[in-house]
Amino acid sequence: MARFLARRIGLALVTLWLLSIIVFVGANVLPGDVGRRILGPFADPRAVAVFNHQLGTDRPILVQYWSWLTHALRGDLGNSIAFGDPGVSMLTRALGNSLKLGLVAFLLVVPLGVLGGIVAALNRDRFLDRLITIAGISATAVPEFVFAILAILIIGVALRLLPITATAPDGSSVPVQFGYLILPAIPLVLVLFGYIARITRAGMIEALDADYTRTAVLKGLSYGTVIRRHVLRNALLPTIAVVATQTGYLIGGLVVIEFMFNYQGIGQLLFLAAQKKDFPLLQAGVMVIGAVYLIATLVADITYSLLNPRIRYGGAD
Amino acid sequence: MDRDQQRIDSIRRQQSELENHVMDEFFAGRMSRREFVRRSTVLGMGLTSIGAFLAACGTGTTTPPATGLKKGGKLIVAVIAPAGKIDPLSVADEGGLAVLGQAGEYLVWSDKDLKLRPVLATKWSSNSDGSVWTFTIRSGVKFNDGTALTAKDVAATMNTHADPGNKSNALSALSGVLSKGGAVAKDDTTVEFHLDAPNGSFPYLISSDNYNVIILPAGYDYSKKYEDSFLGTGPWKKTSFTTGKGVSFAKNASYWDSGAPNLDSLDMTFYAEDQPRILSLTSGTSDVISQFPIGAGQPLLNNPNVIAIGLRSTAHRQIHMRTDKGAFTDKRVRQAMALVVNRSDLVTGLLKGKGDIGNDSPFAPVFPFTDTSVAQRALDVAKAKQLMSDAGKSSGFSTTLYTWNSYEIPDLAALVKSAAQQIGVNVALQVLDPDTYYSKYWLDSELGITDYGHRGVPNVFLTAPLTSKGTWNAAHFANSAYDDLVKQYVSASDVPAQKKLAGQIETLLLDQTPIIFPYFYYHMSATKNTVSGVEPTAMGHINMKAAGIKS
Repeated sequence: MARFLARRIGLALVTLWLLSIIVFVGANVLPGDVGRRILGPFADPRAVAVFNHQLGTDRPILVQYWSWLTHALRGDLGNSIAFGDPGVSMLTRALGNSLKLGLVAFLLVVPLGVLGGIVAALNRDRFLDRLITIAGISATAVPEFVFAILAILIIGVALRLLPITATAPDGSSVPVQFGYLILPAIPLVLVLFGYIARITRAGMIEALDADYTRTAVLKGLSYGTVIRRHVLRNALLPTIAVVATQTGYLIGGLVVIEFMFNYQGIGQLLFLAAQKKDFPLLQAGVMVIGAVYLIATLVADITYSLLNPRIRYGGAD
Repeated sequence: MDRDQQRIDSIRRQQSELENHVMDEFFAGRMSRREFVRRSTVLGMGLTSIGAFLAACGTGTTTPPATGLKKGGKLIVAVIAPAGKIDPLSVADEGGLAVLGQAGEYLVWSDKDLKLRPVLATKWSSNSDGSVWTFTIRSGVKFNDGTALTAKDVAATMNTHADPGNKSNALSALSGVLSKGGAVAKDDTTVEFHLDAPNGSFPYLISSDNYNVIILPAGYDYSKKYEDSFLGTGPWKKTSFTTGKGVSFAKNASYWDSGAPNLDSLDMTFYAEDQPRILSLTSGTSDVISQFPIGAGQPLLNNPNVIAIGLRSTAHRQIHMRTDKGAFTDKRVRQAMALVVNRSDLVTGLLKGKGDIGNDSPFAPVFPFTDTSVAQRALDVAKAKQLMSDAGKSSGFSTTLYTWNSYEIPDLAALVKSAAQQIGVNVALQVLDPDTYYSKYWLDSELGITDYGHRGVPNVFLTAPLTSKGTWNAAHFANSAYDDLVKQYVSASDVPAQKKLAGQIETLLLDQTPIIFPYFYYHMSATKNTVSGVEPTAMGHINMKAAGIKS
């Protein structure tokens, strides 16, 4: 297990390093320059040149990258060029917000999706199965912003049941913050529900048809025990992998949702950083999201291995 | 002699030669009441004197304060997320300036009617040629850290912004007008501005129109993070600020204008996108939105629970045509292009009627000194074709129009392309991101569309994009007669002379047509119908000092 973990962590670090190079090169080939973005289109070109020199963005790209890397390794991710704040503090706040929204969506969609998949599998080819499958696929096919608009207009504006902004006032209690996050979580739930339900349903059907399930039934175990101890344990393996891959999306990929609900999450922050060519913030943010993805995948792998000893002990090889 | 005449004579005796000249123009009927008030305030005539004079003439001037408001309470204003840090030197966007003007204050406020109102300066006047301006600073004003405001603070603030080494955004208006060291504190309440050249509109250039110049203490360190302190003399004091999220203010208990502000507290929430900002008002999440684009804000115009405020402004789009090389060197070609643009349709279609038609000069109809007797250029395709033929371009030509993607600009570009086809000009469109447009194509393109924000006086519009040495001269227009007229206009403080020069400039630009000015669009903001006393300006300020909730 230790060797397995060491190998995965080592791979994760290499992935992050490669990611840093890709982002650095990508950000530098974007048109325009930082000084122009910050000082505005009508700023004197000499002032823009002086500002770029002060920022160091007129240096060769390799020198800039080396400077960034050596500082990053010491834990210094630099200050945002546009806002002046330390990138770490801005990212920490935004990541905290994203985690809250992701968590609310996660807490709503995972039980619903898994439950939907189980119900569909247990009612295979019947009305309930078809309803869950078709509704789930349809909802997955609709872009999240469509649901977001509908949720805002119907629930927020017409019925005024929930606030249309996801940001709770400063000092709000946890339940109040949760209340503010329900509306933006709804489109995410609708988009992800069908995906999770389908994977769970497929896993369930495969496990229900498996020999070990037939054996468990034949040896006289109760239906509930068979489902709980034999079917679910095997059926949920692919679901865990799917949920893990969605974690990164729920943390860093909600740019549209964050803009629509005016939520200062990490997706919105990175979008603005890219727009303003705010290198330090962009670079640090991508590293953070990359790390979240890798950690989520690692957690999923560990959970998977705990449920599936063949992986834990390298039995699949 | 009746009592009114005695009062008028008494007021006249206290005024300067220039101010008496303005009164003469008003008496002679050559100046409207609105122009009189505006011109008098520019020259530094106090509002009390103006009010007394107009009252004696049989016309009142005082604007009734917002009445029927509850005392106290809190309002939430949804503003465009500032593009960067809230920094007095670098703020260059509407979100940033709307926030900067809450705790910060200006010497003079340029209001929605382009009139000047005293704030930290109580009065001002110039010498005979407008090269030295003297401002009297209000006594008894304190910064929100408890220190007293003096003339030294005002002089230091203005000299800081006038220093090119500080890269202040305010330089775009101060360059060539006021140099570092030009502001001198004569005593605790008097500041003299020694200008680089005579300027009849100088008070506007250091007013709220030049939004960076909030007055800060003489020893203020501009390298500090302003968001930590929100230092200023204004009615609001910061209680919390979160980058990208918003700022909360509480009433400044030691504010110099006793009784203000009306509210106890004020929240400004930042919105990165237009739609959520607009929806925040309709859903009741916010009480005021500082600005909305007319296209996205259509639902607000017909909402009975919302009061939409449309302010005529001088903000516009410029369609420049390069005059020094390429297809547009012949002025007849440029005139032809201008003649095929259907301005009425543009205002109706793109702006839903919330705009004024332009006449190919920076003199917007809202400027009181625009010479409206100059004929309006109208759609005339036949004449345009004739001009193309005269210029030897009857078979047309191909060109590329560069612009950037925001608001209605891409639609305007598409309509220009369509209009140009009528005279055989085949326009390829390049709608770019703002950075690419402004860094690569703005000043070097043969044909382009650039956006210009509101200004209280046309000086910047007249100089930067149109004079021979103008820094934003995308049309590469070089005309010594024009340069001379603008120089005269900028220095003129005499009303008829300014209007006469405006007419000459308008006529010259219509003939040369380096730039098409298709329209001037309104500045739109909105409040709930339960809110009153909010004072937006076309520049983007949102003055909440007198705002409150209706009782």
